[in-house]
Amino acid sequence: MAATEAEFVVTNKLGLHARAAARLVRLASRFPCEVEVGRDDQYSNAKSVMGVLLLCGSRGTTIQVRATGEGSEDAVRQIGELINDRFGEAE
Amino acid sequence: MSLPPDREEDSTVGNPAALEPLVFRGIGGSSGVAIGKLMLMDTGGPGVVHRHVSRRALQGEVDRYEAAVTASVEELNQAADRAQHHIAKAEVAILEAYVLMLEDDMLHEDVERRILIDRQCAEWAVEGAIADLGAQLRDSPDPYIAARSDDFEFVGAMVQRSFQGRSTRSPAPREPSIIVARDLSPADTAALDKSVVLGFVTEIGTRTSHTAILARALELPVVVGLSNITSLLGDHDTIIVDGVSGEVILSPTIDQVANAQARAERHRKLAANLREHRDRVPQTKCGEALSIRANIELPAETEVACYEGAQGVGLYRTEFLFIDRITPPTEDEQYAVYRSVVEAMGEHPVTLRTFDIGGDKFVSQFRAPADMNPALGLRAVRLALARPELFLAQLRAMVRASAHGTLRIMIPMISGIQELREVRALFDRAIRQVSDAGHAYSETIPLGAMVEVPSAAIMADLLAQEADFLSIGTNDLVQYSLAVDRTSRALAGLASYFDPAILRLIDIVSKAGVEHACPVSVCGAMASHPLGAAVLLGFGIRDLSMEASAIPEIREAIARVTLADLERTTREALEQGTAAGSERVVSDAFREVFSDLLEAYL
Repeated sequence: MAATEAEFVVTNKLGLHARAAARLVRLASRFPCEVEVGRDDQYSNAKSVMGVLLLCGSRGTTIQVRATGEGSEDAVRQIGELINDRFGEAE
Repeated sequence: MSLPPDREEDSTVGNPAALEPLVFRGIGGSSGVAIGKLMLMDTGGPGVVHRHVSRRALQGEVDRYEAAVTASVEELNQAADRAQHHIAKAEVAILEAYVLMLEDDMLHEDVERRILIDRQCAEWAVEGAIADLGAQLRDSPDPYIAARSDDFEFVGAMVQRSFQGRSTRSPAPREPSIIVARDLSPADTAALDKSVVLGFVTEIGTRTSHTAILARALELPVVVGLSNITSLLGDHDTIIVDGVSGEVILSPTIDQVANAQARAERHRKLAANLREHRDRVPQTKCGEALSIRANIELPAETEVACYEGAQGVGLYRTEFLFIDRITPPTEDEQYAVYRSVVEAMGEHPVTLRTFDIGGDKFVSQFRAPADMNPALGLRAVRLALARPELFLAQLRAMVRASAHGTLRIMIPMISGIQELREVRALFDRAIRQVSDAGHAYSETIPLGAMVEVPSAAIMADLLAQEADFLSIGTNDLVQYSLAVDRTSRALAGLASYFDPAILRLIDIVSKAGVEHACPVSVCGAMASHPLGAAVLLGFGIRDLSMEASAIPEIREAIARVTLADLERTTREALEQGTAAGSERVVSDAFREVFSDLLEAYL
């Protein structure tokens, strides 16, 4: 199965807070493939807001995004764009 | 703000036989007065039954859990819909995040495991799952993430209430009631049916907390910051909430009720009247236009400022970015914040004041040596010039934010022309640095000086020639001119902006502004009181900035008076020898015409 993996740095001020995590989860849920987000090689389900919050991704944290299955490349790319776009937040 | 209540002894607390009134004082978070039945709202988790379930009943427990989640999600979606009608996009986004938490896979898997394997009843399973997940968050080194454990607990409490067949909004009041709660989450506030809610009292919160901001939008009186009040009250007592003074009276006397009813009625009429004028350009009765802007401290307050019809921000205090932290904020971090404020105000101008901090507010390695009297020490522009790298980073962030709207930069505590020149040189350098880095910025950013040190007022003619604008900070001007410590209660009577010495200084500044075509504004407390604002207009000042909540009253006050009356009154006040004398002149002139507005300040 096709697996894609990439790393992104959280740059928005508040980090992966509740609203940002919610956006990431909603985006991940659009893809049929399995999507995981990780930190220091501890992965959790990217379609679970609790899983994403538990990463405790504050500003400056490097987040690993890993997807397996159909659409995995798109999933990783779009999640990366969301992180790089500071989750659409001003700061 | 905390208890004990405002009385000699509180031995009657909790004694139902003694129905003497109890007076508490908190923070008035939203204006207005309400009288009604008290309803304690249980926003915390109720006690949870722990019982093991028989093997046959396990699937039934899972079904019950899923039904409770569905009901909670439904309730949140309705709350989000209702909140859409008010303000607060942020609230709606939080409600949506709660929905995702409720539907979360990890939570479901954990709860199901506890039911199916550990044979726990649904309530117990949810309690355990929420506690575990919350504990993991609380261990986070990041305080923001750690605080999100509150969100998990809130979601858990919603599900628990659903199990009991209670609405997740907790028992909604049937008859008009005043809600008393430890805290109200955005979901709780948004979900309340305004037709039966008369007001709020909470233990937690400040004037800028979620509850207070939302209550202002709903135009409900609220008093926040009354710690422990829920443990002192029972249901169904009569209670008075005064969102103006912050006073809460439990079991009031008949006289107190009558008095509160009269104040409530006056406030309702006034608010209805003021609301009609929210979009009207502020002007005097004779048609002289002026600008009314808001003083803000947090980016979120731009929402309240716009709501009250502010024509921009006349004072944005940037200190909050610098205090309570180990390292100073980076240029990028500041830029993002300033940009959000400028963008929120649209075409209206925003005046950013550079940091006004000194040894007393600064933390960590940036702590300046302690001064005997911090108000007279190394602070504000003095600290900025002593630490140019810190100041340049702030100026660069501000210059970059200028690309996104209309902004002005204001320097606090200028005491003479030399400081302004040194600031101007650094400002020019900051612009060059921003330009060299390839960032966008506006070519025409006005650089102005606060006039709050008496020497600056005396030298205003020179400052007016080199500053792009002057803004009088009346609070510090009073403190420095009259040598009265702002925080001293014993001296509070001496600290009056009606003091003739203060009026003469304002006169000097205002005349210098006219002579050198340098705009003069006022951003102190004087501008937010109807009588103070009247005097300022009489001086020829046409640009006032104040706490957003004062804007409707001031807009209305100004509309009732003519320029001729204002100018005559200010002239007469200037001739008085004492603060009491000039205050009497102004009060005699406008007391009648402002009578309903002035009651809000009593």
